[in-house]
Amino acid sequence: MMAPLGDADHCRDKARKDLVALLEGARGKKNLVISQELAGPVGLFVKFSVLQEYGVDRVFLLENANIDSSQRNVVFLVRGEKAQHVRTVAEQVKRLRTNGNVEHEITIIFAPRRTLVSNAVLEEAGIIGDVNIAELPLYFLPLEQDILSLELDDAFSDLYLNKDPGCIFHSAKALMGIQQKHGYFPRIVGKGDNARRLADLLLRMRKELDAEESSGLADPSARGLLPSADTENLIIIDRDVDFGTPLLTQLTYEGLIDEYVGIKNNQADVDTSIVGQAPTPQSQESSKTPQQAKQGLKRKIQLDASDTLFNQLRDANFAIVGDILNKVARRLENEYETRHSAKTTNELRDFVNKLPTYQLEHQSLRIHTNLAEEIMRLTRSETFRKVLEVQQNNAAGADPTYQHETIEELIARDVPLKSILRLLCLESCMSGGLRPRDLENFKRQVVQAYGHQHLLTFWALERMELLQPRSSATTMLLPTSGAQAGTKTNYGYLRKNLRLVIEEVSEKDPNDISYVYSGFAPLSVRLVQCVLQKPYILSLIKGGSPAASVNNASTASPGWLGFEDVVKSARGSTFSLVQKGDDKAVRARQTLSGNAATKTVYVFFLGGITFTEIAALRFIAAQEAPRRRIIICTTGVISGDRMMDVAIEKGSFSKAE
Amino acid sequence: MAPVNPLANWEKVGDSFYRKIPVYDAIFDEDVELENYIVAGAPYGGAIALYRDESKPFRLRDSQSSRTSIEIYSCSGKHINTINGEQATIRGLGWSDKEELLVVFEDGTVRRYFGLDGEFTSFSLGNGAEEYGVRACQFWASGLVVLLSNNQLIAVSKYDEPRPRLLAPCPEGEVSSWSLIPPAHTLSRSVEVLLAVDKTVFLVDTTEAEDKILQDGPFKHVSVSPTGRLVALFTSEGKLWIVSNDFQSKLSEYDSKSRVAPSSVDWCGDDAVILAWEDEIHLVGSNGTASKYYYDGRVHVIPEMDGVRLITNDTCEFLHKVHDVTQEIFRLGSSSPASVLLDSVDQLEKKSPKADENIQRIRSSLPSAVDACIKAAGYEFDSYWQKRLLKAASFGKSVLELYNSDDFVEMTEKLRVLTAARDYQVGLPISYEQYLRLTPEGLIERLISRHEYLLAIRVSEYLQIPADRIYVHWASQKVRVSTVDDEAVCKLIVQRLDGKPGISFEVIAQTAYDEGRSHLATQLLNHEPRAGKQVPLLLNMEEDEMALDKAIESGDDDLVNYVLLHMKSKLPLASFFRMINTRPMASALVETDARGQDTELLKDLYYQDDRPVEGSNVLLSEALQATDPQRKTEKLHLASRLLSDSKDPTVMLHQKLVSEASQLLKAQESLDKDLADHNEFLGLSLNETIFRLVRAGYGKRAHKMQAEFKMPEKTYWWLRLRALVAKRDWGELEELGKNKKSPIGWEAFYNEVLGAGNTKLASIFIPKCTHLPVADRIEMWVKCGMIVKAGEEAQKAKDVNTLELLRNKASGPAITEIERMINQLRPRK
Repeated sequence: MMAPLGDADHCRDKARKDLVALLEGARGKKNLVISQELAGPVGLFVKFSVLQEYGVDRVFLLENANIDSSQRNVVFLVRGEKAQHVRTVAEQVKRLRTNGNVEHEITIIFAPRRTLVSNAVLEEAGIIGDVNIAELPLYFLPLEQDILSLELDDAFSDLYLNKDPGCIFHSAKALMGIQQKHGYFPRIVGKGDNARRLADLLLRMRKELDAEESSGLADPSARGLLPSADTENLIIIDRDVDFGTPLLTQLTYEGLIDEYVGIKNNQADVDTSIVGQAPTPQSQESSKTPQQAKQGLKRKIQLDASDTLFNQLRDANFAIVGDILNKVARRLENEYETRHSAKTTNELRDFVNKLPTYQLEHQSLRIHTNLAEEIMRLTRSETFRKVLEVQQNNAAGADPTYQHETIEELIARDVPLKSILRLLCLESCMSGGLRPRDLENFKRQVVQAYGHQHLLTFWALERMELLQPRSSATTMLLPTSGAQAGTKTNYGYLRKNLRLVIEEVSEKDPNDISYVYSGFAPLSVRLVQCVLQKPYILSLIKGGSPAASVNNASTASPGWLGFEDVVKSARGSTFSLVQKGDDKAVRARQTLSGNAATKTVYVFFLGGITFTEIAALRFIAAQEAPRRRIIICTTGVISGDRMMDVAIEKGSFSKAE
Repeated sequence: MAPVNPLANWEKVGDSFYRKIPVYDAIFDEDVELENYIVAGAPYGGAIALYRDESKPFRLRDSQSSRTSIEIYSCSGKHINTINGEQATIRGLGWSDKEELLVVFEDGTVRRYFGLDGEFTSFSLGNGAEEYGVRACQFWASGLVVLLSNNQLIAVSKYDEPRPRLLAPCPEGEVSSWSLIPPAHTLSRSVEVLLAVDKTVFLVDTTEAEDKILQDGPFKHVSVSPTGRLVALFTSEGKLWIVSNDFQSKLSEYDSKSRVAPSSVDWCGDDAVILAWEDEIHLVGSNGTASKYYYDGRVHVIPEMDGVRLITNDTCEFLHKVHDVTQEIFRLGSSSPASVLLDSVDQLEKKSPKADENIQRIRSSLPSAVDACIKAAGYEFDSYWQKRLLKAASFGKSVLELYNSDDFVEMTEKLRVLTAARDYQVGLPISYEQYLRLTPEGLIERLISRHEYLLAIRVSEYLQIPADRIYVHWASQKVRVSTVDDEAVCKLIVQRLDGKPGISFEVIAQTAYDEGRSHLATQLLNHEPRAGKQVPLLLNMEEDEMALDKAIESGDDDLVNYVLLHMKSKLPLASFFRMINTRPMASALVETDARGQDTELLKDLYYQDDRPVEGSNVLLSEALQATDPQRKTEKLHLASRLLSDSKDPTVMLHQKLVSEASQLLKAQESLDKDLADHNEFLGLSLNETIFRLVRAGYGKRAHKMQAEFKMPEKTYWWLRLRALVAKRDWGELEELGKNKKSPIGWEAFYNEVLGAGNTKLASIFIPKCTHLPVADRIEMWVKCGMIVKAGEEAQKAKDVNTLELLRNKASGPAITEIERMINQLRPRK
């Protein structure tokens, strides 16, 4: 079979083409005003130099509100779903109109769609008739060949704090895009209430598409959509099924960078004191905030597969990163030494040809060695050790009350609030809530230590069901108390029945996904394994507890088959839906295309995924490699800190301006 | 019927042949005086709109009212509809690609009629059109340009969302003629206009008017060829010039020998120009060659992409260039393979052996001959020749061993459809090329608007194109015209459309609603599968609650927000809240939106819903935002009061902590007053406050704060420790170390002090860490650099190995000390 463009490349190309076409629509030079949350994602598929080629003179951030009249053409790029941003745009358009003597030609591009609400906002502002309005159908953006992300920064807070299901709709639209390209997912397997909602939306949209398609509204290429021949299934995991995992400190290299530096849209802003200055001071985006210069320069580091060294390191447990770096350093050294042994001109030419790659590798080696050393320094600190100890005890299912003293000490020592809250939430998630007395105690201590505004923080955490008092009915979630279709994930039961804790895992030469947390397997990914790697999980369980119900499920058993009971102990709805098509057509297609050797599995993490989970999924993907291809889809990359950020009240009683 | 000689109406103009095919005859009644009408025809053989030309005198008949009306006919003269005009003067009549009639009035109003049914939307051109008045307008497939009497040009590039835009200002002068270049053929990708002013021509786009610097004007006519490459100019001397679109080179010139300017100058395809006078047509080809046609009455020219339609009272003709394929086959004396193939069919019928001879002769080029015959069949209007050519093709391909018959089959299908459409009852004289451009879907659309439902369904079934739009249109029409009661209509429609895929009931319901039958509309809407589609209509129908439910069902947050926006502005607050509080998604969206914008609404909502904690939280947020300390405490007070009635222990704690916050603020205020000259403490957390107090040396006050806020002893000790270390107050720390017990143990002291670099003081705490294992203590001593002390510790534990390790680390006199210890422990040999 001919291999068409991968999903990632397809998304990237399409997004770029669409954007460029829209920019061309505004003739001549133009200024581009872009909202903060879109600036990063846009960088994923188009370079600034390309924008310049299409007449973009300067780029402004919408939030800075500093657009000027230097160009007649002004193009705004915002999310249409964000009424607040649309209002800001309307204000700025009005200001452009009144100020200055240039008559502006204004274009507003809504991504991913133009909404009724934004229409209403523009109408109210009285400018809807005077601006060009366009849509940029921006859905999945490729972070890597195997990762498609919607890059929705607010997905987590919307879903769990605000209970705003907008991003589910957004996700459904994005997945419909994939279905329109490849055909319907033959099966949708999922876990979690929001996941169920997403699956229902997908079914509904399919019905609506069928309706629209035959009415000639959809584009003709999508006609007669059938279950896909080269897709195996779609697995949807709702983040709230496994809140516990992201609360743990990630222990892979990329995960740790995310924890300590933060990775956004494949880029990390690292202090130059750690990685040194950028080699060639490129004139980057026009507006550089002076504030940045003051507090030590940051350097943007691109973290993706284009950096081969990073690609080796990213998913490795941090414990072995040092080894790899050493090895690479030695190899580079050796290669460089070959210049002395080069005798013939051919050998010399070879060497010179390799020089640029060598230099690149060397550069990347220097960056990552410095970065790894910095992280090493942090992981050696006493507080890091204490935090990790509490986490691992919780993950292993030890009595959490023994950890309380340590947490109290950490509070008194003024470690960052996020770390404290992560520990408390972790305990709450893992053992079904804190004892009310303990929770009260911690509330008081945290509020006294970090400020009374955090009463709001606690309220938000409770609303997200991250930190709750243990209700008297469910005492502690005991490993034995079995499957009750729960409103809470029973880690106790699952820890045992899915072998989440594997003490003897090797970090160097891992044989189980638990290596990513040095001994704890992310529940979310275990669930994926329950669908994809049934025999493996069964053998794991057999080793553990013979009591677990073991159906002799063969590899071919689809969906949750064989694990229904176990999976019930995780929170939310469990489902496995088959999308049938016209049987005759399906068979015809199968005979035509043959049974594709490699089938694609889409794993969608609704509400966000961590880098460790990505690493774990890649580990599975490598095992399944010849038969299956796993594409990871998500609303965005998340970490425990980002989860806490959503809840933490930013205001404070001191000097509020 | 004797076959017409295919060459009968060929005419050689320059190097090419042109032919005029009579499509229909006896179109209009004799009493329609075509010369008194302005005629506009829709592209692709579409409908014709007739409008009385007011510049012509006409006999006032008693039956005719003075109201102007537009008559719409099919090309075969079938009357389709009458559109009653307004009193305003019509300045332009044109059609879009989708057979929408556009009427431009003098005051700048534009009406867009769709579907030939007389339904229209209208918009205004603005930009001074009302003041100056519209002088003329021109149309292209999807837009129009209007010329005002002050020479301003206004362009509208799409009708769905018309945005009239002023083109660049034009020079002063008399505009003698003008023409537009559609966006598809311009460099700027937006419409451009050629304006003949005085002696020259200007090219006007959105930004500038470029003078093409010609001297031979004024030009009576300007016309741009269908591909935009050539421009025809008609001079006042009666000459026709063909020039390239950059006006750099004149390609040909033709002298019409007429003093009177023609009534129209149109392109026939891309290489010939039609000059039309009242009853005379000049077909001007390349190099100034021409052919002339004369008529009995007035002739109207309707340009098409591949030719022109000529309309007279009696006939509708299609004049176009003979396609190369056709020429090759039919030209006198042609010996092309295709021509030979066609001939062999004749021979075959005569049972002559020459048939086979012919085939053998062209054997090598037989496939292309078959292809040519198939293609030529498409260009024929006469079914006799279509059949003939197809027969030839069929004969030819039967001889071939391997031939892909797809083209053949497709062509037969297309021809069947075309024949049906060209029937005079339907009256769509569409050519093969036009059909390709229009697409089958487009053709069906046209059939629908002519209410030819049966034919449309047959065609769609034949071509396997979804037929739902036809059904929907039929149903809408049914709703419009039926007089029976709602139940019956609904039943009829649902029954008839049952099982048909993809029916959009929303559209039918909208029609019903527009007809004032809202009950029927609601009933029909229930059959709509797409929840989202129902929402706008339901809102129109004031079925707000149902709209909200459907929006929620669709899962589209935008729709829900939209409905909520609508309802919030319409309903009293109480009923709005009632509406949302049973719908979690709705109330979540309202809350989220209000949180950023409208906290008062939020407070009302929480009050109504009886959610005191949330209500108090809003106040707490407000307290945070307030800048004035007085306001802060007030808000906090309010926040706490909201919770005072609760018996729930968590709420009680919450309330207690809220009031603690204001208590803390008060305490800090007095601290600031007493100790600092500006706000140093205000707003800090309790821990931070105590830390700073200790660091600044106000230990007593710190202690008081601890007591006041019941801070745990452990926390307090930690704070003291950290603050004292930060202060480098070693004395005080040593003082602390004299305590017998520390609630946080002494190890912490050791670590913190050591971290600050004071090894001497740190070492004081080592002996106090009695609970630690010996090995740890040894390590601690070593870290302080006190090897000897470490040795002593090891000696106590009788650990020779460790001592030996220590010896390696030691230096100076310490070595001997350690060795002494080792020797003491190790029995002499």
